[in-house]
Amino acid sequence: MRAANRGDQRAYAVLLGAIAPVVRGIVRARGAALGNEHCEDIVQDVLLTIHLKRQTWREEAPLRPWIYAITRHKVIDAFRARGNRVDLPVEDFAEILPAPATEDPIAARDMARVIDQLEPRAAQIVRAIGIDGETTAETGARLGMTEGAVRVALHRALKRLAQLRERMIE
Amino acid sequence: MNTDDLIAALSADGGPRLTPEGRMLRSLPVAVFLALVALLAGWHARPDLAQALASVAVYKTLVPLGLAALALWLVQAICHPESRIRAQTGLLGIALAALTLVLGWTLATTSAAEMVAQLSTPDLVNCLISVPALSVPALVAGFWAMRAGAPRNPVAAGAALGLMAAAAAAAVYSLHCPHDAVIYFFTGYGIAIAVVTLIGAALGGRLLRW
Repeated sequence: MRAANRGDQRAYAVLLGAIAPVVRGIVRARGAALGNEHCEDIVQDVLLTIHLKRQTWREEAPLRPWIYAITRHKVIDAFRARGNRVDLPVEDFAEILPAPATEDPIAARDMARVIDQLEPRAAQIVRAIGIDGETTAETGARLGMTEGAVRVALHRALKRLAQLRERMIE
Repeated sequence: MNTDDLIAALSADGGPRLTPEGRMLRSLPVAVFLALVALLAGWHARPDLAQALASVAVYKTLVPLGLAALALWLVQAICHPESRIRAQTGLLGIALAALTLVLGWTLATTSAAEMVAQLSTPDLVNCLISVPALSVPALVAGFWAMRAGAPRNPVAAGAALGLMAAAAAAAVYSLHCPHDAVIYFFTGYGIAIAVVTLIGAALGGRLLRW
């Protein structure tokens, strides 16, 4: 995470990849009744939030309690929105085993729907970098934008995604 | 979109971000400076400021300043979702309890006629309007900083920020205010700070959700 906050993209991808199964484990353990697809939607919500709130992690602090706190916050939100009352003591989280994705890759439905609501250009950028695995430089070259502009657009698109998800929940 | 794709998109957007503390360091000094300038330009410092600050009346500046410092400590901690805030809320509780004791003692030892005399001044309304007005810059700066944070309880976080902004504004306003009676301090400053704290809580519920 430290490396990621300094701009090391690969380290960040590896870290998020390692966090995802932990988050998935928590969500599955708490929301077994919701079904795998719904759970994966919540996992994606949590990852998006971890990304947008990464500056609230203190470099000298352990990462796990921070991840649990964010996961707990978003999971409660998500379950509440889906009409389930939940009570999640944070101490329980440490004992939950990470869950790998069962059928990999899992296609969560909500995120695709929300990306469709973005402006066309923003949606294009998110898809290009996420699904097609382009780098920001390649996307920039293809769309006739500078790499910096692609980064800014991507960042705005991700923030907007989080807002749209929030609105869906309400 | 599957989760691995999302991770790919997120990691392309990585890189350093300003922490809530970083934002506070940038914005709060500006806010305090603005409030001070506004006070000197719009309200003027009390003519006997030097004497007042050298006398017991300095409590009107120091008590709000202490409250603001405590509240700032709480605001800073509350921005982190995993943090425990027992020390901060405990100390704030002790401070408020001590102030309540002082208020009780003052009410018990001051005659009703004296209190009415100390409170019968149009400046009281002025105070109730000025302190919230002077807290606006710190509120704006604080919300900007806290929106980078992730408070578990947005309403409580907003209240802490409101308390911080209002207490700082009260300390600034004390440089103008010519009334040094303790009962006046509790009525004017106390109510103004309480109102801004409530406003902060209401705004926090909207602005600090994540």
